[in-house]
Amino acid sequence: MKILEFEKIESTQKKAKELIQKLTPWTVIVAKEQTGGYGRKLGEKRDFWYSPKGGLYFTVVLPKLKTEKVPILTVLVAFSVAQFLKENFNFNVFIKLPNDILINGKKICGILIENFILGGKVKGSIAGIGLNTNIEEFPENLKNIATSLRIELGKKVNNKLILKKILKVLKENLEILT
Amino acid sequence: MKFSIKIGEKEYLIEIFEIEEGVKILVNGKEFYFPLEEQKIFYPKISTDKRDFQEKKILAPISGIISEVFVKEGDFVKKGEKLFSLSAMKMENEILSDFDGKIKKILVKKGDKVKKDDLLLIGV
Repeated sequence: MKILEFEKIESTQKKAKELIQKLTPWTVIVAKEQTGGYGRKLGEKRDFWYSPKGGLYFTVVLPKLKTEKVPILTVLVAFSVAQFLKENFNFNVFIKLPNDILINGKKICGILIENFILGGKVKGSIAGIGLNTNIEEFPENLKNIATSLRIELGKKVNNKLILKKILKVLKENLEILT
Repeated sequence: MKFSIKIGEKEYLIEIFEIEEGVKILVNGKEFYFPLEEQKIFYPKISTDKRDFQEKKILAPISGIISEVFVKEGDFVKKGEKLFSLSAMKMENEILSDFDGKIKKILVKKGDKVKKDDLLLIGV
């Protein structure tokens, strides 16, 4: 597993796309801050992901899957993060299908999977995960819909350790598919 | 260049000259001309090229909604170029071209629902 760390970039997902030709599976791109973190498309617009310092923002290059197994990826990645949150903090985790994770009715994690398909075969998949870890407070427009581990636990968490643990769960769960 | 050859009992004196228009050959004093143009006949490359003119088909790899069409009919594309974005399970799937060539027909538009193996595009 190779981890490429960045202080501040537009988006880990974008960076992964730029470098995809050179990246091997399980390479992880992490940023301490994103200026253009994004989620799925909502009509013409893209959902943006609030990514200030303190949060955990990363993109994992996934191993190549068979095309027919691709549709399950989002749920599997969401499940892996939910499993991590449950096992480590015993939260009542709710997966808002297919790609958001909520705690106490507020969003704590967003997931975006992007696949590249050529000749019917998957050439690459990347999973972008934004987890609100050490975010102390959210701006007014997000206050009622977003939360963080810092807010829920009342204490700081270790981003590096969390990243390591999520990747471990993700790897184990993906092995079922590969 | 000057030489002689013998065919049967008869001897021929051959003289070859390079001239501006081509080649002049003298056989026992009789002149023959071979203009260079004859050698320059242009064969269109396309007739000898091993191009595959079979139609290329791009099918939907999974079911979903076409969220973006990046090309239009008549466009030339290269292998690996983005053709469509297909949204499925909130995942975004970039459908890339698996051929170098021209787009003959696009059978879907943005917002269309497609099933696995539906024909999306024909190329040549």
